[in-house]
Amino acid sequence: MTNRSPLVKSIAAFILFVILEAVALVLISNESIIQQIRIMGFYMNMQEKTIKTKTDIKYYFSLDEVNEQLMAENTRLLQELAKYKAAEEAVDSSYSDTTTVNLPQPDSNVVSKMNLAVKQLSVPYKAKFTYIPAKVVGSSSNRKHNYLIINKGKVDGLDKDMGVISPQGVVGVISAVSDNYAYVISYLNVNQSVSAKLSGSNAFGPMIWDGKRINYAVLTEIPQHIKFHYGDTVRTSGFSTLFPPDLPLGTVKKSKIIKGTHHEIQVKLFQDFKTLLYVRVVKNNDRQEIDQLSKGNEI
Amino acid sequence: MKFNFASVLQFFLFVIAQVVVTSYVNFSPYIYICFYPLFILSMPTKTPHMILLSLSFSMGLLIDILTNGIWGMNAAAATFLAYIQPALLKVIFSKGELENQIRPGLADLGMIRYTIYIFSGLLIHLSIFSIIENFGTPFIFENLLRMVISIIINTLIILLIEFGVFYKNTR
Repeated sequence: MTNRSPLVKSIAAFILFVILEAVALVLISNESIIQQIRIMGFYMNMQEKTIKTKTDIKYYFSLDEVNEQLMAENTRLLQELAKYKAAEEAVDSSYSDTTTVNLPQPDSNVVSKMNLAVKQLSVPYKAKFTYIPAKVVGSSSNRKHNYLIINKGKVDGLDKDMGVISPQGVVGVISAVSDNYAYVISYLNVNQSVSAKLSGSNAFGPMIWDGKRINYAVLTEIPQHIKFHYGDTVRTSGFSTLFPPDLPLGTVKKSKIIKGTHHEIQVKLFQDFKTLLYVRVVKNNDRQEIDQLSKGNEI
Repeated sequence: MKFNFASVLQFFLFVIAQVVVTSYVNFSPYIYICFYPLFILSMPTKTPHMILLSLSFSMGLLIDILTNGIWGMNAAAATFLAYIQPALLKVIFSKGELENQIRPGLADLGMIRYTIYIFSGLLIHLSIFSIIENFGTPFIFENLLRMVISIIINTLIILLIEFGVFYKNTR
């Protein structure tokens, strides 16, 4: 005992102390009902807390699964919505085309319009956009040319030049696909731009990332006469085959007039690229058609 | 520390004295006389900690059994005090003084330091005792009053015992 190191000695002393105190407490609780009740109460309280913590931890680890389920659900709903939008567009265009059809109420709600379209015109509509959920497995956000890698690839129907979005805005464009993964050029790339519009006036222009701060982008080429307010929402314009229209991107933070001709608007993005985990790949079902059309008519 | 006859006798004398006082002397419910912490507090420095803990525990338990108290109350408090004692000594003594094995008594410490030492030891002991007795905060005012009165009275008693019994021997 005398040759042992002081650390071992102190640990042994501590263990003995704990044992003796435990013995004393057991003796006390056997002897006296008041102390027994108190000790049992304390013990129960501790047990309750432990169980609660355990449940919380379990719940937290199941969140991942829940997230994925919600993601799948959301995607399904978006696809449904896209179908209805396509139907609505079909109906809207049919109003101007077919004047002979006697429409009961032009301002009636969308459902009746669609029913009408189905019944009277039998428009074979299909969704313009399909969404494929994916998870980010690798990303960078501190360079001038940032990228992301997502866990869906050629097998899941992904292809080059498809847009990637999240509920908070645009994420990027796929630049290469392998069988199971896809390489996405992030929107945080000084060469990347997205066609955006101001929600109030529908004036549109390219929104680019200036490479300065990851939560700010610049919307340019907005004519000088356009009026807007700080805090207005900026959305995608839909004038590209990559992204669906009316996807919220950010809010107007401040603006200045360049060369006396157009506004340059600083936009605070909704998207937080640092915490991005779940994304959706946008598959435009009409892309080939549009591409062929524009290719044939290029000057 | 040598386990000679004197120290064994001291152990049992403390137990007997404490039992007699607790059993036959009753001033008021607010005064709880316990001077056996003096035995734990005046264990020489460099006593192996395990021995100190075992001695304190058995002393507390003996007192509990012999005074018909709740078994383990004094044992728990005494064990805690024994666990704290070396740390308390480190605070009270300056660094060089702890090199040799000495009995922390009135002769070595002087009046003021010794009083502080006893006072803080009793404070720890009676606080633990009170906490174990109540396990919570019912009758907090009465308990605090009892604790304060007991600490003062016991400090005085222990100082008297130390001065009367042990101080002369060391001279």
